[in-house]
Amino acid sequence: MTLQAPTTAAAPSGQPHLALEGVGKVFELRRNEHIEAIKDVSFTMQENEVCVILGPSGCGKSTVLRMVAGLESPSAGQLLLDGNPIHGPGRERGMVFQSYTSFDWLTVQDNVEYGMRLNGAGARERRERAAEFIELVGLTKFANAYPRQLSGGMKQRVAIARTLANDPALLLMDEPFGALDAQTRWHMQELMMSVVESTRTSVLMVTHDIEEAIFLADRIEFMSRHPGSVLEEIKPTFKQGQRFTRKEQLLDFPEYGDLERHVMKLMRQQGGDDATPAEQGA
Amino acid sequence: MSQNRQNPVGTRAQRGPWLEFLRPISTRESALLGLVIWVLFFVGWEVAAWRELVNPLLLPPPEQVLVSLYDLLVNRGFGVDIGVSILRILASFVAACIIAIPLGVLMGSFARIEGLFNPFVSAWRYLPAPAFIPILLAWFGTGEEPKLALLFLGVIWFLITLVMDHTRNVRDELIETAMTLGARRWQVLWTVIVPAVLPNILIAMRQMLAIAWTYLVIAEIIAATNGIGAVMWRARRFLDTDEILAGILVIGVLGLAFDLLFRWLYRILFPYLDRNGR
Ligand SMILES: Nc1ncnc2c1ncn2[C@@H]1O[C@H](COP(=O)(O)OP(=O)(O)OP(=O)(O)O)[C@@H](O)[C@H]1O
Ligand SMILES: [Mg+2]
Repeated sequence: MTLQAPTTAAAPSGQPHLALEGVGKVFELRRNEHIEAIKDVSFTMQENEVCVILGPSGCGKSTVLRMVAGLESPSAGQLLLDGNPIHGPGRERGMVFQSYTSFDWLTVQDNVEYGMRLNGAGARERRERAAEFIELVGLTKFANAYPRQLSGGMKQRVAIARTLANDPALLLMDEPFGALDAQTRWHMQELMMSVVESTRTSVLMVTHDIEEAIFLADRIEFMSRHPGSVLEEIKPTFKQGQRFTRKEQLLDFPEYGDLERHVMKLMRQQGGDDATPAEQGA
Repeated sequence: MSQNRQNPVGTRAQRGPWLEFLRPISTRESALLGLVIWVLFFVGWEVAAWRELVNPLLLPPPEQVLVSLYDLLVNRGFGVDIGVSILRILASFVAACIIAIPLGVLMGSFARIEGLFNPFVSAWRYLPAPAFIPILLAWFGTGEEPKLALLFLGVIWFLITLVMDHTRNVRDELIETAMTLGARRWQVLWTVIVPAVLPNILIAMRQMLAIAWTYLVIAEIIAATNGIGAVMWRARRFLDTDEILAGILVIGVLGLAFDLLFRWLYRILFPYLDRNGR
């Protein structure tokens, strides 16, 4: 299982940023009772790419992301970041969760400084860099507020700024906007797009929102239903490598509708048998 | 003072029923209501004593209790007894906290430490502390040690368990967030788990301090020559019910004072828990 890849030193340019090779995960529920959450998941990601994992509920998206974060270990296969196997969590793979994770006892400023403080950055550098990222997510006025005084969307912006300020090689996000209302949600998606553009961060994100996936992704890994594996790799080629910072820009492309329709069809196929074409028409 | 009080005509339209779900009341009103129940209590007591519904020897009127409390304090050094009792509480409670809080946090953080200590702690928790009085007396005689030991034993096991449970309830995502930001084990413990659980630890301490008072009185009744409990027990021999009640009154007032102290500490130490800021 722990075969050393013979090409570690060679070909640094062609090497993917993140690679999953035949990754599987079996959870033990009770003694002699196992559940295979994902099976043979393989895909790669390049530097500066925004990659979205999409799939029906329970297919194992969070499990994949948590393994990349190092919060779970794979039962089969391996995960490589820049060619090095992933063992346990580390600052180079910062994660933003769906639930709010701001530290209540720290101000917004101190929350954003938190990761840098752990990693021994100087006080001045911390302060300046945190201010920069707080500005980037539009919370400068709230730098000295405590999280309890913020709305859900603002707390999520704190979490994103905190993770980005720590300069991760890969930003991991598990349905980061899932708990937000529709309007806040697309504001956040647009904000994230511009932040990612300006910081050139690589992003691996989980969602089950099709629109969000198409808007944000350079590439979509669509996972099949339980036990999950990659069913289809979808590239929104109509974007021609551009990134948009306004959602309505998507609507200029007739291919957008086609792609959305295609993904929806996959979602219905994989998401259970209860949805009939008749309901679809209504 | 009260210029900003709202016009009663203006508020009348919005005023709901007296009992309403999910409707908080002002600090002032809550203090007032708290006072009402006490006034009713003392009026009831006064009436019962005055109409001699109960044998006056067994239930003296409240003013007589206050008079003997004054007499105890001024002429008979009751203040020293109160001080001794408070010191006993503090010494044993602080000792229990010094052990219980770190241990509880570690047990709640690491399954292995819980696995090691929890069977032990749970067993001790089920043993009523007063069951140890005979053996404590045999070991330590009648000095301060058996009393302190009783208070210590009465508090520590529950405190460990409460702290452990609160620590276990620190949300996984907070810990995982710290880990993906590069925190090592002890950094997670110090910079996430401890600050996250601290408010609940303070609440647990507040609850356990009330229990400590119970054991204090037991200890002082059984094996003490000074302290509030000892004074009350001595008064019983001469059927000085007014002095017994004075002792009860003092314990009640002290309990309330400590409770208020903890509430105040909570507000001072954790201002960030207030939604509206400081
Ligand atoms: N810690 C665990 N222990 C046991 N089973 C687990 C655990 N975590 C996940 N699973 C199982 O693995 C499967 C995949 O779960 P996962 O949370 O990865 O799905 P998901 O695609 O993220 O779903 P959703 O879209 O609803 O968030 C589920 O069947 C779940 O029950
Ligand atoms: Mg999930």
